[in-house]
Amino acid sequence: MNALLMSPVILPLATGVLGLALRPYRRGQQVVSLLAAAAHLAVAGALLSAVWRDGIQADQMGGWPAPYGITLVADHLSAAMVMITAIMLLATVIYACCDVVEDSLVKDIHPHLQVLAGAVCGAFLAGDLFNLYVWFEVMLVASLALLIAGARKEQLDGAVKYAALSLVATTLFLAGIGLLYGLTGTLNMADLHVRVQDVENTGLVTAVAVVFIVAFGIKAAVFPLFFWLPASYHTPKVAVSAIFAGLLTKVGVYALIRLFTLVFTLDVGYTHTILLWIAALTMLTGVLGAASHNDLRRILSFHIVSQIGYMILGLALYTPLALLGAVFYVVHHIIVKANLFFIAGALRRLVGADDLRHLGGVYRERPLLALLFFVPAFSLAGFPPLSGFWAKLFVIKASLQAGQHLVAGVALFVGLLTMYSMTKIWVNGVWKARPESTPVPDEVRRPLRAALLGPIVALACLTLTIGLVVEPFYALAERAGHELTNPDVYVEAVLGRGGEDVPVAEALPAQAGLQ
Amino acid sequence: MDTIIALLVGVLMGASVYLMLRRNLVRFVLGVALISHAANLLLFISGGLVGADPPLIQVGADLPGEGVSNALPQALILTAIVISFSVFAFLMALAFRAYESLETVDPDAMRAAEPPRGWKSQAAERTAGTA
Amino acid sequence: MAEPATRSAPVPLYSWAAVGLPLGLFAWLCSFVPEVSAGESRHWEVQWLPQHDIALSFFVDGLSLLFALLITGIGTLIFLYAAEYMRGAPHIGRFTVFLTAFMLSMLGIVLSEDLITLFIAWELTGVTSFLLIGYRHEDATSRRSAWQALMVTGAGGLAMLAGFVLLGEAAGTYSLREILADRGALAADHRYHWILALVLAGAFTKSAQFPFHFWLPNAMAAPTPVSAYLHSATMVKAGVFLLARMAPVLGGTEAWTATLVTVGAITTVHSAVVALTRRDLKQVLAYTTVMALGACVLFLGVPTQTIEGDVSAAAAAAMCLVLVHALYKAALFMAAGAIEHSTGTRDLRLLGGIGKRMRWISAGIVLACLSMAGLPPTIGFVGKEALYSSASAAPSGTVALVAIFLASALIGTVALVLAGPLLWGRLTEAAARAKPAPWQLWCGPAILGAAGIVAGLAAGPTFGALVLPAAASVGELPEHFVPSLWHGLGPALLLSMATWGLAALVFWKRRAVARVVSSSLSIIPLTGDSAYDKVMHGIAASALGLTAVLQSGVHRRYVATVFASLALVLATTLVVRDAIHVPELVPEASFFEWMLGGLIAASALTVIFTRSRLLAIGSIGVVGTAASLIFLLFGAPDVAMAQLMVETLVVVIVAIVLLRLPSFHYEIRQNRFRRFRDAVVATAVGAATSLVVLAVITDPPQRSLTEYFERTAVPGGHGRNIVNVILVEFRALDTLGEITVLFLAGSAVCALIQRRSRYRRLGSLVAAGKASATATDPELSQR
Repeated sequence: MNALLMSPVILPLATGVLGLALRPYRRGQQVVSLLAAAAHLAVAGALLSAVWRDGIQADQMGGWPAPYGITLVADHLSAAMVMITAIMLLATVIYACCDVVEDSLVKDIHPHLQVLAGAVCGAFLAGDLFNLYVWFEVMLVASLALLIAGARKEQLDGAVKYAALSLVATTLFLAGIGLLYGLTGTLNMADLHVRVQDVENTGLVTAVAVVFIVAFGIKAAVFPLFFWLPASYHTPKVAVSAIFAGLLTKVGVYALIRLFTLVFTLDVGYTHTILLWIAALTMLTGVLGAASHNDLRRILSFHIVSQIGYMILGLALYTPLALLGAVFYVVHHIIVKANLFFIAGALRRLVGADDLRHLGGVYRERPLLALLFFVPAFSLAGFPPLSGFWAKLFVIKASLQAGQHLVAGVALFVGLLTMYSMTKIWVNGVWKARPESTPVPDEVRRPLRAALLGPIVALACLTLTIGLVVEPFYALAERAGHELTNPDVYVEAVLGRGGEDVPVAEALPAQAGLQ
Repeated sequence: MDTIIALLVGVLMGASVYLMLRRNLVRFVLGVALISHAANLLLFISGGLVGADPPLIQVGADLPGEGVSNALPQALILTAIVISFSVFAFLMALAFRAYESLETVDPDAMRAAEPPRGWKSQAAERTAGTA
Repeated sequence: MAEPATRSAPVPLYSWAAVGLPLGLFAWLCSFVPEVSAGESRHWEVQWLPQHDIALSFFVDGLSLLFALLITGIGTLIFLYAAEYMRGAPHIGRFTVFLTAFMLSMLGIVLSEDLITLFIAWELTGVTSFLLIGYRHEDATSRRSAWQALMVTGAGGLAMLAGFVLLGEAAGTYSLREILADRGALAADHRYHWILALVLAGAFTKSAQFPFHFWLPNAMAAPTPVSAYLHSATMVKAGVFLLARMAPVLGGTEAWTATLVTVGAITTVHSAVVALTRRDLKQVLAYTTVMALGACVLFLGVPTQTIEGDVSAAAAAAMCLVLVHALYKAALFMAAGAIEHSTGTRDLRLLGGIGKRMRWISAGIVLACLSMAGLPPTIGFVGKEALYSSASAAPSGTVALVAIFLASALIGTVALVLAGPLLWGRLTEAAARAKPAPWQLWCGPAILGAAGIVAGLAAGPTFGALVLPAAASVGELPEHFVPSLWHGLGPALLLSMATWGLAALVFWKRRAVARVVSSSLSIIPLTGDSAYDKVMHGIAASALGLTAVLQSGVHRRYVATVFASLALVLATTLVVRDAIHVPELVPEASFFEWMLGGLIAASALTVIFTRSRLLAIGSIGVVGTAASLIFLLFGAPDVAMAQLMVETLVVVIVAIVLLRLPSFHYEIRQNRFRRFRDAVVATAVGAATSLVVLAVITDPPQRSLTEYFERTAVPGGHGRNIVNVILVEFRALDTLGEITVLFLAGSAVCALIQRRSRYRRLGSLVAAGKASATATDPELSQR
């Protein structure tokens, strides 16, 4: 049994559950959370380097062979996602040390952040569809607990919408699993890849695929299923918003990418055309939503939607470069978007507002904050040589190569609107003089300010690094894209020997005797 | 019977969708309860109604007898039941708390997190306070 | 436009140090002149993203050298000027950094060998100029101008990116040297017109060509050193540079010629006319910039490859114009800034006779205006001669000739308008107050003005070293194009004379002309600037409208949209992909099974229609119980038991909570139409689901997993209840997750309920009820 695959899931999960059960003092909660997040980062790093070195890692839980037991699999995509989750967790935990100070909230938020990260990692590593469902549910409940921590009116209202639509999503997901099991008799995703090809009623597979598009589409917040996101993401504590913005929708995107490169690849002309339309409309409606708002966190929430569109576009085009672009986009987006939420929080704490109508004077009074905003904001807007430029370049190049000129045009137009919306924040929020009505906030003490700005600086540096030293990140995305376009590698790593059923006599686990 | 269950899945689905569209959060929650039944039944028949005997192995035997039902969907349903119950309980508590806080169960009136209704009032809200 | 008040502040050391960078680069670039004029080029490369053939790669040829020398040479003077001009202003540190970054990215554009590197530098000039134009960031006009410049050039930039990607696809490489080596190949590609349009969009927006010209005059909001730099050697020249760079591969076609000549001609004449109506010194200069850019574009459009020798003189003329314009425009801007610096105004009417007070500045202005008006012995004269001779020789040169003649005359008038009153006008009050400018402010105009004369007198060497090598990069090297001050009394000189005559005439009648022009311009309902506002407003309004409809805040609408989408896409797929398989119309089932099914359906409908809370709760319970009966009937006693237990808890919880919520009698009933609509959605979802499920169960179930579990349960899992063995052995991870969910939900419910003061007691009850199956404890019945 390979602890490398298990520990990114179990470590934060155990930390979180223990934290919830023990409810220790605030300081203890923070220290434990920080230590666990640091350890998680180390584990995720080890996993990524193992995958980079040796290729896809698969681990059969309990030693039961695939497809019978539950498999955890880490290909380059999963390992990269786990890595980025660990980065997000650590950044958020540090940030939360300043952002969340109320005793009751500390006890709620820190453990749930850990559980959330554990569930997200579980979803990224799950090689079994039903197991993926279970992680989705853990994620849902953990995120709901985070969303309502504090229980202000708008939080409860947002939570109702979030819970309702997420619940529809997970139910549809469960129904989809049932249908797929009925068709193929298996749950293991690698095995599904093999068995789906034997199903006679191919149209039915496509119909089931459509159910999954809707289920994961809600999770990923695509048009026209995204409503829960702008309704809720601006309501909780900033640290919570940030990790939501970074990770949650990306799990939906990941699930879409996984299933629509591994399982539902038989009717690409149909399913991926649907995805293409979804992508274009998601990009467009998201960015228009962003353009219509003044509240920083609402603007950013709609930008999430818009950029999910770019990722789905990468999936829909279904070429190696497009998938690579989607993966690159996901990584870039998580870092940049979480950072922008952090900055929105920092603006509120240090300048006194996060609404464009009240915001101002940042450029004059807080040049460092202005600079820190500049990097992710202009990266998001796609200015070179920041990470967003490369992400955009790959996706647009892929769509032009695929002959999808219209979609490329939409993507470019959305890029322009994104630029408009992000520079609007710069012009009206950062440059403008502080409105007289905006109160000057209390000074934030030095150690707390470090907790507030530390993650922002680190993530901004990461954005710069991806932009300037793009090659290694590209190489990672390239490998991920390559694996996604050649699912046989994945199948072989999970099932062994080209995906044939393992004879039962052999399949009896060697460690059965241990029990 | 499997045809009947398949139809029931549709009926439960439809009923819960209709419930979820009522102007009463309570009906929404009841819809959630129904839809999880739909999903469970769906999982159940996806494994086929092959036998009426419980999937047990008699003492002394290594294999179950003929005519036992499909065990895997049952295990999945058991997991799903517990999960959907947990979520349901949470949702109920949330609805209750939302009612206390927002003083309504009409989802149309719940818009503390969202801008005012209609684009005219939104436009007014967006421009308010800008110089 | 308030200038910094604290003039006594010292110039920071880094401002001086910053001058060294362009100076050093200028000197270094000068060292390439000999080899480049001999037709060689230099190349540096650092790999960046080899998988996409993207490298940080730079090269120096004639074209890039000319531009690079202008950027660094004028840059040196600008940095020197800025050090003094910005003394005591806020944020000088940032300003210096941005200006330096701007210069470097500009150099990046002209020296890039790789299309993507070029694009990156291109966008960097956009961002840095945005930061520079918005220097007075607390002034709303400055912010708007900066934003406008960024949006307009950014939009063009995005189009250009698409063009570059397509170009890269068509050419198979991003390397400019390789692309340029394959002249003419691209014109045959089927993507040629797309590439052309997209690249031109980038160039035209950057170079402020009509109808995108409006951002440039607005960019005057920048501090003078920035506008001087932006207008003379950089930014706007980037578009011209790009056209020149691409001319060998994209040029020579009818589309190229037609577009460039038309756009260039319109821009030239339009902006020259507008310039006459302006009173603000910097505004006048801004429009003459647009005019000069138009002329450059126009000349790059004239075919360069059809006839030998003579025709490619157009390229040389364009390159010469770039040089001339850079020299005089930088001089004039710096002079204008210096005048404003000491008088506080830029209104031409208030500046009469300023020359009597500011002698060095005036000298610079005179020299620059000579070059601008194209009078001998300046390089401007040589350039204009070259324009006329090449235009009259070009096959489709008539349009060019007319446009250039009109524009030159108007520009001559502008030169007179600028120079005349300033130097010889009656001394005004503001001018009388003026103090002589410090040397840093006048040396720029003076040096550049003098450079115009020197270059004119030494026309041969100037062309040989700078202009002709640059032109050689654009088209075939002109064989018998011999520039000199004196061509003899040819048609070009006659045209020049006619130009001066017309210029003098217009200057004499300038008030009348200005009046006519303003009134005729006011007929045009839409200026570029107001169109920009309309577009921006339109985007904002449509964004608001669309978002208000989509993200309406109405929860039911969200849910309805989700389900309607599901039903629509699922039903479509079932039909399109022919996936419907209905086994038989009347299913085989016992009476009891029919009853069970009917009971569930009836209960579900009861939940919908009842107005009694108790009945609703009861019906939910009936559905659950009936479902557990189904499980029991078909061999799933464990599931049935669990279902029954959970159902009990559900009913208890619902009962506890429901009785605390308003009765159904208070709920708002939707009108008939809404109910019908919801029923349609609900029926569609239900029907589609049933159809899918029916189709799925027509195939015999595949039991290979279950068979494995049955075989392995006893030897491997040591259990006889296969379901249990699956839960704790084969799928233990699921069970772990499930327990986590249960635990989290429990703690979250506690958090939701307990953290209230009023309902504390009930909360503990619900929590207790959830945590154990003994929820029906006596306390409950008491309540």
